[in-house]
Amino acid sequence: MNTQTNTEVQRYLDRMRAALSDLPAVEVGEIMDDAGSHVVEVAEELGDEFSAEALAARLGSPEAYARELRAAAGYPPAAAPASTGGGGAALARFCFYALVAGVAAAFAFAASGGEHEQVTFLVAVCGLIAVALLFGRAGLVREVGNLPEASFARDAIAQAERSEAARVLAYLRTLQPGWWLLRALVILAAGFLLGISEFLVLALPLTALALLSGPRAKRDRRWLWISLPIGAFALGLFLTLFDAVFTHTYYRASVPQATYSATPDYPDNIYVFDKNGKALTDVYLYDEDGQPLESPWYGCASGVPRADNQYPKPQVERDGHGCREVDGVPFAVVIPTPTTSAPPTTTGPVPPSSPLPPSSESAPPATTGSVTTTG
Amino acid sequence: MDTSQLLKGVLDLAVLAVLRKEDGYGYDVLRRLRQGGLDGVGDASVYGTLRRLYNAGLLTSYVVPSEEGPHRKYYSLNEPGRARLIESGNTWKSFARTLDDLLGEVA
Repeated sequence: MNTQTNTEVQRYLDRMRAALSDLPAVEVGEIMDDAGSHVVEVAEELGDEFSAEALAARLGSPEAYARELRAAAGYPPAAAPASTGGGGAALARFCFYALVAGVAAAFAFAASGGEHEQVTFLVAVCGLIAVALLFGRAGLVREVGNLPEASFARDAIAQAERSEAARVLAYLRTLQPGWWLLRALVILAAGFLLGISEFLVLALPLTALALLSGPRAKRDRRWLWISLPIGAFALGLFLTLFDAVFTHTYYRASVPQATYSATPDYPDNIYVFDKNGKALTDVYLYDEDGQPLESPWYGCASGVPRADNQYPKPQVERDGHGCREVDGVPFAVVIPTPTTSAPPTTTGPVPPSSPLPPSSESAPPATTGSVTTTG
Repeated sequence: MDTSQLLKGVLDLAVLAVLRKEDGYGYDVLRRLRQGGLDGVGDASVYGTLRRLYNAGLLTSYVVPSEEGPHRKYYSLNEPGRARLIESGNTWKSFARTLDDLLGEVA
C-alpha cells in the first residue's frame, strides 16, 4: 500500500471512528480492530484502482458503514451532535464528574458500612440528575465522550489495551458476566445479612439493576452511569461483609481466652448479706482494680439495658397484667457462726419469701409464681 | 421481494452456520456468506452481527498476528453458540417448511 492509499484509508477509518465515538471505548477498539482491518484489506484488493471514491463505492461512506454496523450490532443509533443545544459542554462535564463522584461515594458508603450519609445522599442526587439528563437529552453522552477528561480516560484504556497488560485485560473481560452476577448476589446477600430494613427495600431493585446494567453498558454508554456506581457499591459491600465474617470467625476462634481472661461471666444478679444474715440493698461492687462490676439489667422499659454495678437489681415480673419491677430479696439465708472459714450455707424458704433455692448461677427467680405473692 | 429485508432476520443464523466447521475472521465470514450465495449481505452488517453474537456470549475470539497487513481477529463458535445454531436452525427449518406449504398452492 502506498502512502497515498494509506492516508485515504486512515481518513476513512478516522471518520468511521468518529461516527462510533459515543460507544464504549472498548467496543470502538474491538470494532476498529475488526472492521478497520477489513477496510485495509478491501483497499489492498482494489490495488491500482484504489481511490477514496472507489473505496466508498465498495463500502459506502464511513458514516454509512458505521450506521449499518451499529444497526446490525444492536448499538443505539448515533444522535445528531448538534441536538444537545447550548450548555452541552457544561452538562456533559456535570455528568462526567457525577459519574466519578458517584463511583467514589458508592464505594466509600458501602465499604464504611453506611457512614457519610449526607455526602452520599448529595452525590446520589447528582448521579440521578445525570442519569435523567443522559437519558433525556439525545447526544449528551456523545458530548461527555468528547470532553478532554473523557478522552484522557479513553486513551488510558486504549493504551492499556496495547500494552503488556492486554492479555490480562482480555481475560478480565471474559469474567465480566460473572462479575455482573456476583455483584447482584453480593447486594442481595447484604440486603438480608445486614438486616437493615430500609436497605432491604433498596436491595431488590439494586440487584435487578446490577444484573441489567452491565450488559447494557457494553452497548449503550449511558448505562455506565448506573453500572459503574453499582459495581463500586457492591465492591464496598463485599469488603464490609468480608470484614464482618472475618471478625466473627476470629471472635469465635478466640472465645476460650475471651471468656476466661477478658470478659468473665457475671451472674445476672447478686444478693449480699451481712454476718447476721441481713440482706443488704444498694450495694456497689468493684473488682481489684477499682473497676465497677457492671452487669446489664433489662427493666420493664424496653430498649437498652441499664448497666451499672448497683446490686441487687430489681426482679422483673411479667404476667398477664404486664410488667413490674420488684425490689427486695426473694430469699433469706442463715450465716453459720464464724468458727470455721467455710462458706455460708443457705437455708430453705423463710416466710414470707419464696421457697426458691438461692443461686448465683441461674437467672433471678423472677418468673416463678410464688414470687409474685411476695411482691 | 428485497432479499436484504429477509436477510436481516436470519443473518445471525447464517453467520453462526458458516463458523460451524471452521473459525474465521470477519472478512472470511463475509466471503463464505457470499460464496454460499448471500450476495446481498452488507460488509458492515456482517461485522456488526459478529460483534453482537460475540457480546451475547455465543462466540469467542482470538487475534492472529499477520506478517503482511493488519492482525486478524478470528471468531469461533463456543458451546452456547452451537446450541443457538441448532435451536435457530430448527426454528428456521420449520418456518421454511410452513412457508413452503403455504406457497405450494401458489407456485
